[in-house]
Amino acid sequence: MKLSPKFKIGIIVVLLIAFFVILNLIGFSKGVKNLIYLISQPIQKTFWKMGDEISDFFEMISEMRNLKKENEELKLKIQELIAENVALKELKKENEILRTALELGLQEEFKLEICQVIGKDISSDTILINEGFKDGLTKDSPVITQQKILVGRISEVYKNFSKVQLITQKDTSFDAKILDTEISGLIKGEGNLRLFLDLIPPEKEIKKGDVVITTVLGGIFPRGLLVGEIEKVIKSDIEPWQQAKVKPAFNIEGLETLFIITEF
Amino acid sequence: MKKLILIFLGFYLLTLIQTSFLIHFNFGWQLGVFLILIFVAFINFFESPSKKTGIYSALFAGFFLDIFSTTPLNFFGFWILIFLGVSLFIKFILRKYVRVPIIKTS
Repeated sequence: MKLSPKFKIGIIVVLLIAFFVILNLIGFSKGVKNLIYLISQPIQKTFWKMGDEISDFFEMISEMRNLKKENEELKLKIQELIAENVALKELKKENEILRTALELGLQEEFKLEICQVIGKDISSDTILINEGFKDGLTKDSPVITQQKILVGRISEVYKNFSKVQLITQKDTSFDAKILDTEISGLIKGEGNLRLFLDLIPPEKEIKKGDVVITTVLGGIFPRGLLVGEIEKVIKSDIEPWQQAKVKPAFNIEGLETLFIITEF
Repeated sequence: MKKLILIFLGFYLLTLIQTSFLIHFNFGWQLGVFLILIFVAFINFFESPSKKTGIYSALFAGFFLDIFSTTPLNFFGFWILIFLGVSLFIKFILRKYVRVPIIKTS
């Protein structure tokens, strides 16, 4: 019997499939694969490394197009982060100031409003703050630092801003006394960040370094606020009162965050 | 015999290149997947339908691809059968439907 070619091919195909099925069933391929992998490992490693390096190189070239854009985006991101960082630092600073104020018990003693200095005019002894009548501020409210140092009082109130007249301004005068004594006098502003203590009885003993604080007399400022310290005592036989130069306790350069006493 | 050894080694290297080297490159489509198939088809196209080199190429190519690449159902022999089928199909088409004109020179 002569078989047709198509039938022969069919038988070969079936036999081949059967052959491979048997190979798979007996697990022959595993052993062969293991042996060939073992032989091929060094070549495979070399090809893999080469392919990795060359593809990295081409990838780098294609990535270079995006690098400029990515760089600009990153720069923008850095600027955003810097701005955020600055804002956080400002908040941290404000937080520290509030903590100091809290430790001194300012919140218990007075009703306070926190504000930031946004402008300084040393020649006329005034500063500008970022709070106005919108925030409940009124004229003549005392302005202090977190260390309970008297800075001045509000002279003009706008909607969002206020002008603070420093205690060193020429027209300013208020009652003060020497700390831990009953010696009182009148503090006068001399302009250019200078203070003057006048009307001290001549028989009273005052010396350089004595601390000057406010009193309730006159009702302009609450008592116990730090004004400054005696810098130089001026005694004269022809003057009926003793006088003294007072160094203000506040540092104009460092004034940033202040408190306005809205009620005392 | 020498030819067979050369084909065997050639497809061994081609499979390694396909599975270890070209796998890193993406040209929008994976050239590596088709490299061996292209070579098998190429050999079968350009040899006489009566010769057997194309069949051996398909056998070796399928064998190495079965070893080095993943086959459906992990069936060893899958690529051998596929390539054999491709090789025989090309030979069949060439034998039955393609006539190569031969210019006789006197």
